[in-house]
Amino acid sequence: MKLAKKECVVMLLAGGQGSRLGALTTKIAKPSVPFGGKYRIIDFALSNCVNSGLDTIGVLTQYQPLTLNSYIGDGKSWDLDRMYGGIQILPPYQRVADSEWYLGTANSIYQNINFIDQYAPEYVLILSGDHIYKMNYSIMIDFHKEIDADCTISVIDVPIKEASRFGILSSDDSGKIIDFEEKPKKPKSTQASMGIYVFKWSKLKKYLEIDDKTPGSSSDFGKDVIPLMLRANEKMYAYKFNGYWKDVGTIDSLWQANMDLLGENSFELSDDWIIYSRHAEKPPHYVGKDAVINNSIVSEGAVILGAVENSIIFSGVIIGENAVVRDSVIMADVEINKNCVINYSIIDEMVKIGANLKIGRPMGEDSEITVIPRESVINNMGGII
Amino acid sequence: MNALGIIFSDMRDWSMTELASHRSVAAIPFGGRYRLIDFPLSNMVNSGINKVYLITSSNYRSLMEHVGSGKDWDLSRKNGGILTIPPYSAGENHGLYQGRLDALKRVLDYIKSSKESYVVLSDSDMIYDINYNKVIKYHEEKNSDITAVYIKTDINKSDSIHKILYEFDEDGRADDILVYPVTNGNYNIGLNTWVMNKEFLESLIYDAIARNYKDFSFDVLSARVHSLRIYGYEYSGFFAHIDSLQSYYENSMKLLNMDTLKSIFYSNTGPIYTKTKDSAPTKYCKDAIIKNSLIANGCIIEGTVENSILFRDVKVGKNAVVKNSIIMQHGRISDNANINSIITDTYAFVNKDRVLLGYSNCPFFIKKNSVV
Repeated sequence: MKLAKKECVVMLLAGGQGSRLGALTTKIAKPSVPFGGKYRIIDFALSNCVNSGLDTIGVLTQYQPLTLNSYIGDGKSWDLDRMYGGIQILPPYQRVADSEWYLGTANSIYQNINFIDQYAPEYVLILSGDHIYKMNYSIMIDFHKEIDADCTISVIDVPIKEASRFGILSSDDSGKIIDFEEKPKKPKSTQASMGIYVFKWSKLKKYLEIDDKTPGSSSDFGKDVIPLMLRANEKMYAYKFNGYWKDVGTIDSLWQANMDLLGENSFELSDDWIIYSRHAEKPPHYVGKDAVINNSIVSEGAVILGAVENSIIFSGVIIGENAVVRDSVIMADVEINKNCVINYSIIDEMVKIGANLKIGRPMGEDSEITVIPRESVINNMGGII
Repeated sequence: MNALGIIFSDMRDWSMTELASHRSVAAIPFGGRYRLIDFPLSNMVNSGINKVYLITSSNYRSLMEHVGSGKDWDLSRKNGGILTIPPYSAGENHGLYQGRLDALKRVLDYIKSSKESYVVLSDSDMIYDINYNKVIKYHEEKNSDITAVYIKTDINKSDSIHKILYEFDEDGRADDILVYPVTNGNYNIGLNTWVMNKEFLESLIYDAIARNYKDFSFDVLSARVHSLRIYGYEYSGFFAHIDSLQSYYENSMKLLNMDTLKSIFYSNTGPIYTKTKDSAPTKYCKDAIIKNSLIANGCIIEGTVENSILFRDVKVGKNAVVKNSIIMQHGRISDNANINSIITDTYAFVNKDRVLLGYSNCPFFIKKNSVV
């Protein structure tokens, strides 16, 4: 029996290493980097999908997928354990004629044409698993349908000095894209691609096949497929997004995005657009008699006996008596013993820090963020074991 | 594990008039993010029981909403899983369950159809942490008909009237059982948890039908203490019996002790599971002051919170002061309000500048959805 087709299939690119996140991604892929007290980065894209009514998602994995695979499981944390559709992990696989790793973002979709075809969709939504934002994709898909575009790219205004980090596009008054450059040295506009594309599946399939036969192509959406379609004069439109959006590809931007959760004019997690996640069963967090907590976020299972200021405290973190944590992101199950002083740091999961230690330099003009890798044990001798 | 779990959700709602006015005892919120049912249910799941019958007589809507398909306890299964059984009128059986034994009679078909060899029966108003496998092993060793879990502790007259007391001979076999007595002293208090062989339970039920018995405590335990082999399995560890507003308050406040917290939620038996809510982590604003408190996710705190328990999604406004209080989920304490020794039920709203005072031995209770 052939089941009803899906109007739109989502392909979530989660295979990148995220090498600019350094120690945070030596053992896990970027989309599974923890964020915001209880989430992982991929929760934002997945929750956006579910909240937008999209329930058929392929997750393309390649680099260190273990944590990501077990995190996603059968998808029930996002209500994606479905009879038909739901979430599926798509690693590279072997075929009769050839087998290769995913060479680029577009190639990873090309290698999964069969997966998409089984749902016979009209549209395919391509997402990256490494951005923090809340967005209703169904509005963008409606926009795409209304103007009958072949490809719609979501864009956001960025400061001109940062523009060369992004794919920059120029569009006419109707929103039709007239120019696209991936990471240009001299950006012509400040409209940056958010790495969110809606394609007509028939068109995308055609250009993926052309790209695959193009010698020397890096099979990347931004570098190859988008310019190829633009040269062929396909109907390509920019869709303007005005909300909060952050690429958390670097240590600084990851830290900043976490800090954006604090204060009043920031990115709000507690609203009707719920971000779902999978998390361990922990009791509420306990705050001790002498604790001080100021302008911070604290998650379940944490035990705070010391002082916490301008920081993000994940679940299961223990902060000992008289310890001070300032301007820092402390990930799940970290143990900070008494009298420690932590400044301007990102401490990855399951790190143990012995008593009376100082980590990081106070935040200032010339100080850099200190990063302590997963599962490190830092003893009283000061070294990392 | 080869045991069937049966949980009674509301055997004694009459003693909990405030908290159980619109929900069964099993659905009373406790410990910042749990409901009382989570404790026996998690004990069962952590002991490897994967088939549970939840027997509930009335006021069960919030309980059913909480338990749902059972997936948060890993009990949404093809084989086993959780089944909620409210009363069902057929033949001579009408109306609400009139006690544990009456309920068991009326779910006999389900008990007969299950293939497990043992049955673990539990109420929902006790909080303790146990591995039922150990009780079953002891049950086998003693070759007993019924094994009752108990704790040895001091009680006074006001709380003895909600308890079952056991006296044992040297071998540990019960030779006297007092149901709801008025007494004080050091006693073996039943935790309202019993283990039986399933076949034996079936024979008890047939007997109860023949004699029109309805009450498990009086008609079986107390009346047949000499003819049945009833043994006691001693439990030691944290124990709380939620049988009044006062005991609810006192036992909740015990969670503000790190050792108690650890013994309940980080025990070797396993975690306590509950319904997942996906609230964001709690946000503390610039002028928040917080001391000795237990805070669930989803709260936004701008004021002062001391010696208190805040459930999920509670908001405490600017300059508001919350002391010695329990604020259940979705509670709102507005700017400049000052409350002390208060229990607010879910969705309570305390307006700006209100001052509410209870006392530690007489906490003031604010009903669900109230606006103060």
